Amino acid sequence: MSVHGSIPVLQIGSTLLASIQVELRDTIADAFQEDILDTIAKTGATGLVIDITGLDMVDSYVARVLANTGRMATLMGTDTVVVGMRPVVAATLVRMGFRMEGVKTALNVDAGLALVSDLLARRHGG
Amino acid sequence: MPLQYYMEKLHLDEAELQSRRDFFEITPEDLQRLASLRSFAEKHTDVIIEDLYQLILGHPEAKKQFTDHSTLVRVKRAQRDYFLGLFSGTCDLAYVQDRLRIGVAHERVGIPPKWYLGAYARYLRSITDLISIEFGDRNDARAAYQSIEKLVAFDMALAMDTYMAAQLDALARHQAAIRELSTPVIRLYHRVLLLPLIGTIDTHRADQLMEAVLMKVVEEQANVIIIDIAGVPVVDTRVADHLLKTTEAVRLLGAQTILSGISPTIAKTIVNLGMNISAMHTKSRLADALELAFEIVGKRVTPLMKTSVSLEAAQE
Repeated sequence: MSVHGSIPVLQIGSTLLASIQVELRDTIADAFQEDILDTIAKTGATGLVIDITGLDMVDSYVARVLANTGRMATLMGTDTVVVGMRPVVAATLVRMGFRMEGVKTALNVDAGLALVSDLLARRHGG
Repeated sequence: MPLQYYMEKLHLDEAELQSRRDFFEITPEDLQRLASLRSFAEKHTDVIIEDLYQLILGHPEAKKQFTDHSTLVRVKRAQRDYFLGLFSGTCDLAYVQDRLRIGVAHERVGIPPKWYLGAYARYLRSITDLISIEFGDRNDARAAYQSIEKLVAFDMALAMDTYMAAQLDALARHQAAIRELSTPVIRLYHRVLLLPLIGTIDTHRADQLMEAVLMKVVEEQANVIIIDIAGVPVVDTRVADHLLKTTEAVRLLGAQTILSGISPTIAKTIVNLGMNISAMHTKSRLADALELAFEIVGKRVTPLMKTSVSLEAAQE
């Protein structure tokens, strides 16, 4: 079975929602990044919410892939928000000295979706 | 703490019991000999217990443990059972439980080990005297005395273990209490938390602090946490670094941090040390931090009436 598609990317209006529920091994992480960018290219989505509530462990590679995916999506004109990071994951990343600079965050999917539409409105407004 | 708790804490199962019996060299012959001494013990119990209480009551400090007569009567009965227990001819788990019960009871009412050990030493002296009177044959007397001594030592080891386990428990409880006190994350308002920091922040505390903050932010789904450092005596590079890390971790969760209570001294230190804490919202007063926090959650503090505004202005 291909690792592609193991994390479904859902489209809600002009926003994409990906909820990671599997252990993010390196190959899956890479495939996930490709899936996301392809979907953005196909749909022209303006927002992307990545829910990582299901991740209870994140190593530096996966963290980098996640952060980079966000930056790449932003480059393609899609506001990206990472939501639902667990306390232990946040603590680990910070202790490793890993900074997810340029990646927006929110407490949960709901707040993430709100932030994305907020950013979109601001973009149109200004 | 219940008896079963200590049985488990001290890993007192059949294997441990066997190991203890082996080390104290308690043999089936010893137990048999003790059982055969039962009638001898029963005959002299009252004298021996009375003897013990002469010792206790003659000691001003030890005497304090027995303030009223009813306690004394109750304890005497317990002592009697305890003493005769030595001559039950058993040293199994039931026996151990029985012995632990006394240790636990002593610990609970705060009888320190010295009284326990002193009292047991008195038992031994009384018994030696009685044995030398009772047994003409010196070999018999010696064998009897040695068997008793083995079991007494066995009992003492159990009592000491119980004392120590209880002490360690108390210590662990206190440490937990201090840990909790050192990171009091308070829910100030819907989605607004406050962490007032008081005292020195070392690496250990900083770690706990970060964990407590992160857990609470997720638990309360808070949008903002105010960390007030007015009570922190020294903010050096290390403390600032910890605060920055916590801020970044809070941001990763999707919330924000406001640092308040920045005194002129702290502001000077931060700038002079060349630390960049621009990633954090900073305020000198907690009140200002609170206003900013309200703003973040979409609320505002406004005066009730115009008159109160002029009053406030007049006061300032």
